[in-house]
Amino acid sequence: MIATTSASVGPHIFWITSRAAGIAAMTLASVAVGAGLLIGRRGGIKGMGGDFRALHEALSLATLVAVAVHGAALLGDHFLHPTIVEIAVPFTSAYRALWTGLGISAGWALAALGLSYYARRWIGQSRWRSLHRLTAIFWLLAIVHSLGSGTDASQPWFLAVLAIPAAPALVLLLAKLSRPAPQPSTSR
Amino acid sequence: MARMDDFRRLEAKGLARAKIRARRRRVSSIRARTIRASLALFAVAWAIVFGQLVTGNDPALSRSYATTRKLADSNRNRKPAPAAAPVEAEVATEPEIEAEAEVEAAPEVEAAPEVEAAPEVEPEVEPEVEAAPEPEAEIEVAPEPEPVVTSAS
Repeated sequence: MIATTSASVGPHIFWITSRAAGIAAMTLASVAVGAGLLIGRRGGIKGMGGDFRALHEALSLATLVAVAVHGAALLGDHFLHPTIVEIAVPFTSAYRALWTGLGISAGWALAALGLSYYARRWIGQSRWRSLHRLTAIFWLLAIVHSLGSGTDASQPWFLAVLAIPAAPALVLLLAKLSRPAPQPSTSR
Repeated sequence: MARMDDFRRLEAKGLARAKIRARRRRVSSIRARTIRASLALFAVAWAIVFGQLVTGNDPALSRSYATTRKLADSNRNRKPAPAAAPVEAEVATEPEIEAEAEVEAAPEVEAAPEVEAAPEVEPEVEPEVEAAPEPEAEIEVAPEPEPVVTSAS
């Protein structure tokens, strides 16, 4: 029984890994966006700003690792059999080019915007901050990618896993967008 | 007085160090918990997808199964024609799906009215024939003796 199961699942192991990593990446990204929006939020939990920052950073890095696994695992898949170019360059994949392309674009953008945190000294704090706000757009793009090309997109459990962390983050984002933008501080 | 200031300064420094240490501890604990939670999330997602695949509820595979099933249904409604076979063979590339289509086709033969009618006629002649593994052969054989008998009379 176990031998039969492992024999039938064996060829799909990379595919399963990629799907699981994609689900993990999407969930972690949503929680990371939520934690990020809670940093320095007026009326937020006092004294928790540092904790939210640490949580946001850890979750963002975990998301990037999951995204890397999501893409890299596909290289081993016998059915899709994509090339490195197809998983790294947007809109070159033979499989659902548009949705996959959106996902690849979102992945690269999230990586660039997330890792730019460590280059704030060169970018400049205020410029980095305004760039970092774009993360939300690419997070939404990643959600569109998962709904468009996700194998499990029609499954209720997947939609629940996607919605549960994404809904609070979306509410926080809308609340932030509805507030007037703070005056840029002159001191750095 | 100077001693008092030094003492206060040292105390403040100690307090600041303790705060920094506590913060570092908190941050490293948050990181460790996040890593553990991420790994657990990945493992759970992996188990769910694996479970879907093993139980045959995988959405990707069931989609191709549904296509094959539709084709099988449309072929069932049609009379068996030689053109129907290659279409099914082209779509059902996976051996599992082909096997499932074959299994589906089997009950159709059993449910056919001809099979039900056959045992009513035959039991008196040869009750052993009922135990024959293939009902189709039974049906084909049954009509043949009749013409032979009528032509002899």
